[in-house]
Amino acid sequence: MVGLCAVLGGCGGGGGSGSSKSVTIAVNAPFSRAPYVGQTIADGAELAASKASVEVNGVKYRFRIRRYDTGLSPSIAVRNVRKAIADGAAAIVDEGTGVDASWQIARDKDIPLAVTYQGGEGLVDAAKRPNVFRVAPTDHGISYRLAEYVIPKKLKVALITDDSSYGQEGAKALDEAFSQNPESVAVKLTVPADSPDLAPQVLRARRAGATGLLVWAQPTTIAGVLSAARSSGWKVPVFTPPTGEDPLVRQQLANHPEWVNGLTFASGRPTAEVGAGPFLAFQRDLENRFGVQLVGVKTSDGAQVVQPPDYAMYSYDFVNVLAAAIQRAGGVSDRKKVLAALNQVSVAGANGDQRGFNERNHEGVVDDDVYFAKFEDMTYKPVKDDPLSATLVPIEQRR
Amino acid sequence: MSAASVVVDETRAELAAAVRDARAAWSRTTTLWLLAFAAALVAPAVLPLSGRMPDLAEFVYLALAAVGLAYAVGLAGIPSLGQGAFLGIGAFSEALLRAKADWPLVPSLVAAVTITAAVGVLTGLATGRLRSAFVAVSTWILSWILLLLLTSFPGISGGAQGLVLPQATVLGRTLTPTAHYVVGVTLLALAVLALAVLAPRAPGLGLAAARDQRRAATGLGVPVARARLGAFTASAVIASVAGALGVELVQVADASSYGPAVSFKLFVAVILGGARLPLGPIVGLLVISAFSNAAEQIGAVRGLPPGRIEEMLTGYGMLLVLGLGGAGLLPVARDWWRSRVPPRHVPRPLPPVRELPRAARPEPLRADGLTKAFGSLLALDHVDLELLPGRVHALIGPNGSGKTTALKALVGELVPDEGTVRVNGTELGGSPRARVLQGVVGTQQATAVFPELTALQNALVGAGLRLEHDGPFRIVFRTPKARSDERLAEQKALAALHLVGLDEPDRPASELTAHEQRLLMLASALATEPRVLLLDEPAAGGSAVELDRLVELLHELRDSGLALLVIEHNLRFVRRVADEVTVLEAGRRIASGTLAQVASDDAVKMAYLGRQKLS
Repeated sequence: MVGLCAVLGGCGGGGGSGSSKSVTIAVNAPFSRAPYVGQTIADGAELAASKASVEVNGVKYRFRIRRYDTGLSPSIAVRNVRKAIADGAAAIVDEGTGVDASWQIARDKDIPLAVTYQGGEGLVDAAKRPNVFRVAPTDHGISYRLAEYVIPKKLKVALITDDSSYGQEGAKALDEAFSQNPESVAVKLTVPADSPDLAPQVLRARRAGATGLLVWAQPTTIAGVLSAARSSGWKVPVFTPPTGEDPLVRQQLANHPEWVNGLTFASGRPTAEVGAGPFLAFQRDLENRFGVQLVGVKTSDGAQVVQPPDYAMYSYDFVNVLAAAIQRAGGVSDRKKVLAALNQVSVAGANGDQRGFNERNHEGVVDDDVYFAKFEDMTYKPVKDDPLSATLVPIEQRR
Repeated sequence: MSAASVVVDETRAELAAAVRDARAAWSRTTTLWLLAFAAALVAPAVLPLSGRMPDLAEFVYLALAAVGLAYAVGLAGIPSLGQGAFLGIGAFSEALLRAKADWPLVPSLVAAVTITAAVGVLTGLATGRLRSAFVAVSTWILSWILLLLLTSFPGISGGAQGLVLPQATVLGRTLTPTAHYVVGVTLLALAVLALAVLAPRAPGLGLAAARDQRRAATGLGVPVARARLGAFTASAVIASVAGALGVELVQVADASSYGPAVSFKLFVAVILGGARLPLGPIVGLLVISAFSNAAEQIGAVRGLPPGRIEEMLTGYGMLLVLGLGGAGLLPVARDWWRSRVPPRHVPRPLPPVRELPRAARPEPLRADGLTKAFGSLLALDHVDLELLPGRVHALIGPNGSGKTTALKALVGELVPDEGTVRVNGTELGGSPRARVLQGVVGTQQATAVFPELTALQNALVGAGLRLEHDGPFRIVFRTPKARSDERLAEQKALAALHLVGLDEPDRPASELTAHEQRLLMLASALATEPRVLLLDEPAAGGSAVELDRLVELLHELRDSGLALLVIEHNLRFVRRVADEVTVLEAGRRIASGTLAQVASDDAVKMAYLGRQKLS
């Protein structure tokens, strides 16, 4: 019995009373191993939960967020999903690790699972995985947009990925994206994710005739590649997926801000055709609730740099779609109904776009919604040499 | 009477004997164990645990791996830091066969266990001769190799998403978390029970002896290398079962769940709870789980990462255990309890008469031309020796004359460069075990009892040599032959103790005086039923009264037909016991004969005796 007690630890779950009911939403993210990602997802979900208002037959539904740390481990992620279900979670907002296994556990209980960071192919399939949704740019979209952006520049890129799971997924996506243009690839390199010195690998890329580096890796690896290239005087253009905007890259290169200059990353666009207004309002709300998200570095004139909450808007949007689905389903008691309703509702997203899913498509961000931004003085601005990016309004990042 | 009715009658008699033995061995502790097992099994049915079953089942599988590790760490004293690797090999073998080759559950489970057992045997063979620190490092490296292998080959590990397994079914029924829990609890109970049964019996005693005094255990014929390899492999196999079933439960295998971190956690659990008690690893794991929960609570309140707090608390736990003597929390708690409520001591009946465990067949030992060189030093130079039944032969000589080297060559501990050793004309096998089985056994110069065992258990290490039904499986399943062998071995061990005058068989060996410990070494050697007994300085540390008794004892042994060789510096003692004497000097035999012949030899006087008198 002592054993049972020790293993059981805490317990939780939704509860309700009279005219109000509590709906638990689990956030399953790598809070310990990738704190920026975990925090961003949780903040977005938390903001939406605090604002969401659902009332059905006089019963008010209040949303609360419960965090589960995956530590980037699929088995822990799966365990968390089981735990979240036992805790009474009505939905799971997930970073994406372990979804290949956890979606079935959630499906067996008719619980929706939304991926809000990872873009791996196959994670989302409306026909085979009816309870899995995604509100985040896909690896496919990002890799193809990167290829489409880099190839016309006549660069010969070194495709550098690290041996983290994220890097391995990226390697697959890049292989596919560059398969039609092998002449644009100088060399493909896999580097160790935790290596303190990547100079030999970067030197190898240089010797292979690379005129550009495309680094699909964890933030620390990106910082390592930049450090190795710039410290040897190689002013090669560097392109990355969204991990390039992770504050960790700039924090690690804080002593050499000039090395960050020119770093170009691809990510889901934070603003839409309606302009920057909705996103800025969302950012203001987020900052009012959680404080300004400082990167921890300063610009050359001493201004603090803040991180725009672009990935927070994805979890924010999903929670709002879920709230609308619960409203439409008439509460959370019939989970099948909620699941079905998720295919029928849409809401205005944090950036003004309409977010929603249908029975055939569970991707909340279309592949074309990927833009490019380039760093200058520790802040980034959309590039001007890409039609989509050129139309976007820069988000102020100095305080 | 038909053959069938004979079989039925025999079976009935054996069953009745088994029931009698079980009744005799039944204690309050056994009842408590059974109740705990039953409570653990029915817990899911009576407690609101449905949402927690996966966690509980996972804990039980981890506890199974920890108990498995106790076979290596506690039983054999092998500091393995590779249990996480074996867990991982079991898990990934299972996952690959199920996810990629579509194998059904049971065949894949058997294959996973077989693969891990093979890796366990290879690792055990590779590390078998290493010192403890190097074993720890080697197994730790194995854990890292597995992790690096899995992360380097996403095709094997499944990459970011891990390797996803299909739902396991047995006879068309899905293996639910509750079913996993029941299977896990049953396997855990079996692993604990097997450990509890083996530890105080022949295989466990042999391993305990080898753990504390490897040379002395080898000298008594314990197959040390084989036994340690067996314990290490058993440990790996149990881990693989836990890993394979654990991955079926979670349904996803990922590299980060195995390797060095898990190895370290399991090792800490075993040390924390107590490696030498079957329930120690489970207690250790419970303490770590409590640390983990406390860390989560503290982390939530203070906004700190729980992982670091857990590591810190575990570190304090380890410091506490080391501060308490290093035995683990459960042994400390047990000792504390025993100091308050001393266990009832039931005295063991000693044999009515003093006699040798079994009359040895008298046979002479003859060594011809024994030669051994260590580099440029010739330690033995064509030495001949003949030990006759019913005679005490003393081997004397100055320090460094080659006496102990000669004894080591006789018992097989050293392979001579030249020369042969024969008993009754038959050349003896090379290993110490082979020689002990052929009736040639020696005791060591230094006092080398097994301090963690009682006097009886020390003697049982020797008495276990000739058991015919002492395989671990027979012992665990308590077969009639195994039980009969055990009774016989205990009688022999008690007889040997009684013969040398140690009449408190349950006294820990560490509490005996130095002379009593030498007598205990002699008793352990006698329990092997020798024909030829080789004693290296048996009189060391004995008082006048004790030496009188020892002389008497050696004469009794001589008179029973044993051939005895005594290496001794105490010439008064030699004068009293020896029938024949051989004198060595610088590795050469300079004289041999009766006391009077040797004493009058000028070369002996010059090289060794000086003003001392031998006769």
